[in-house]
Amino acid sequence: MNMNEGPEADDALRKVLGQWTVDVPLPPRFQETVWQRIAKADPKPEPAVWTGLWRLIEVVLPRPKFAFAYLAVLLASGVTAGSWAAHTKSSRLDSELSMRYVQSINPYRADASRP
Amino acid sequence: MRKGATILLLGLLLGAVGFAGFYYFGTASCRDMMREPQPELAWLKKEFKLSDAEFARISQLHAAYLPQCAARCQRIEELSRKLQQLFSQATNVTPEIQSMLTERATMRADCEAEMMKHFWDVSRTMPAEQGRRYLAWVEQQTILRGQAMEEHHRTEPGGQPTHQHQM
Repeated sequence: MNMNEGPEADDALRKVLGQWTVDVPLPPRFQETVWQRIAKADPKPEPAVWTGLWRLIEVVLPRPKFAFAYLAVLLASGVTAGSWAAHTKSSRLDSELSMRYVQSINPYRADASRP
Repeated sequence: MRKGATILLLGLLLGAVGFAGFYYFGTASCRDMMREPQPELAWLKKEFKLSDAEFARISQLHAAYLPQCAARCQRIEELSRKLQQLFSQATNVTPEIQSMLTERATMRADCEAEMMKHFWDVSRTMPAEQGRRYLAWVEQQTILRGQAMEEHHRTEPGGQPTHQHQM
């Protein structure tokens, strides 16, 4: 049926629907099932953060300028962090060994600082 | 999407490789030192830039010094133990306690004198500039820092002694 047939057709339809009676009993928990199906079908909107992030990965990151900048930043960060961690470990070990040397020659001393 | 994800992963991989590489090469000298039979002497070699010949000579001095040092320490410990026994039985400073205190103090003085002698021997084995640096550092770590009692009665710049006895 065409939905734009005019007010006469609407009146006729209303009349027919008003006369329609349903004899078949509804299945058990019909309403609850319907609402569950509506809830499942209703897509939940994704949080804006994820949408932005996916857009960044899909659209922005593949651009050559951004890709090179991203790779350079991560490489530089890794190198800096690695150097810093190595320096910290070396300093700690130097302190530990200087302390061991002092303790080996002077048993009274329990602590020592580096030269 | 595939391209973006690939670049994302590649960046993370590059960062991890950069970190691991610099950490590995940055700590290589530490690993080498710890593999030495006496890492503290290996540290001395690195810190004071010693040649192999200087290092060998200092290792000899160190090896000769340690047993004497251990013997003196053992003797001081014995005296301290005896002093503890006498102290727990006495009610006053007896001549025996007095004599034992003197003996222990003499032994400690000998110990420090031998230690100083060892420092000078070691510093003379090093290049002149490094030897001076070694002496300055080792003096700070041993003689000039004072022992427990002096540190507890250290005098403030204003002339007020600070008492820090901890029981």
